[in-house]
Amino acid sequence: MALPAIGSAGLALDDVAARLAAALPSDLSDLRVQEPDTVVAVVAPAVLHDVALRLRGLEGLAYESCNFVAAVDLGDGFEAVYHLYSFAANSYLELHVAVPRAKPVLDTVSDVWPAADWHEREAFDMMGIRFEGHPDPRRILLPDDWVGHPLRKDYVDSIENHPNV
Amino acid sequence: MGLIEGVGLGPIADRIHYPNISQFERPNVVTTTVDFIFSWARSHSVFPFTYGLACCAIEMLSSGFARFDVARYGMEVFRPTPRQCDLMIVAGTVNEKMAPVLKRLYEQMSEPKWVIAMGACATSGGPFYDGYNVVNGVDKIVPVDVYIPGCPPRPEALFQGLLELQKKIQAMRIVPPVPADDAAVAANARAAAQQSAADLSPDDLPPAAPAEELPGEALPSEAPVAPAAAPADLEKVGD
Repeated sequence: MALPAIGSAGLALDDVAARLAAALPSDLSDLRVQEPDTVVAVVAPAVLHDVALRLRGLEGLAYESCNFVAAVDLGDGFEAVYHLYSFAANSYLELHVAVPRAKPVLDTVSDVWPAADWHEREAFDMMGIRFEGHPDPRRILLPDDWVGHPLRKDYVDSIENHPNV
Repeated sequence: MGLIEGVGLGPIADRIHYPNISQFERPNVVTTTVDFIFSWARSHSVFPFTYGLACCAIEMLSSGFARFDVARYGMEVFRPTPRQCDLMIVAGTVNEKMAPVLKRLYEQMSEPKWVIAMGACATSGGPFYDGYNVVNGVDKIVPVDVYIPGCPPRPEALFQGLLELQKKIQAMRIVPPVPADDAAVAANARAAAQQSAADLSPDDLPPAAPAEELPGEALPSEAPVAPAAAPADLEKVGD
């Protein structure tokens, strides 16, 4: 059941997916619709920043809000998930970006959506994904001298990781 | 008229027991000890520090409102700054990022100060005891006076903890107790002074009278030494 569209476009979810596929044909792969209001797509890490800029400026379907940035440990690699929202179309977009475990580095999108700043810091703190170009790439939840990234599946807790307490 | 007949003001006034005010005609002095009056005042005017960290804070705050009303114990003056507080109620989970902040705020509180660990988390880590980021008990950082179990404790449990803390505060002593050894020293010194005064001729009398009146202060200040040596020294002083 699709929620009533409040934006000027008033697009149905399938129309949103079709417009996204038309606007960024080569960059959004595995485009699919997830009821009631979300479009899911996979983006290559190399074009992430470029895709972010273009999504933010889409005519009538501008994803102006970055709700949060999630990080997932899939075992053989990580995945960063960007949850975006378009006020104009009242529609959500999930961008899934694969991150290799050997070199967990992505381009920052905090210059595109300032809200992503602290979310990227949290993703670094918990999962160890570094974001190139981030203005303040410190830990955000744990003490600065913490060793390791505790939400990784292979993290083993030890008092040596946080000797202060 | 029949109903109120015989129930006039006179009989009612006779049944009222007015307080006996004759005591105010006498010298109106109440004597007590410094320890009693200070611990009584301290234990009934505790200023808690608003240190809510998790769901226990909801109970702590509700205990301050009208339904439970912590003001009944004189502890309603919650302060948001540690410098005006003498009781830190740690209400909630302490994680490692918070730990140095908590320690610093505790050190900023003025003496004397107390800490209550409210709830399972502040006591031992509680349901998060094996979390990678959870301090297993705030007593790893600051000394705790009273532990309150519960998850979270109801306001009644907090009140019982406050009452236990009141007992602890009332047991505090400002005036240091005279140790038994010192009392023996003072008694020996008094006896020695009397003896030396009796040995002296009446012409050399002056030290005797002050030694009688201030045995505990005047004599030890002249001879603040070990008990065994006290009588010999006093004789020298007397000569």
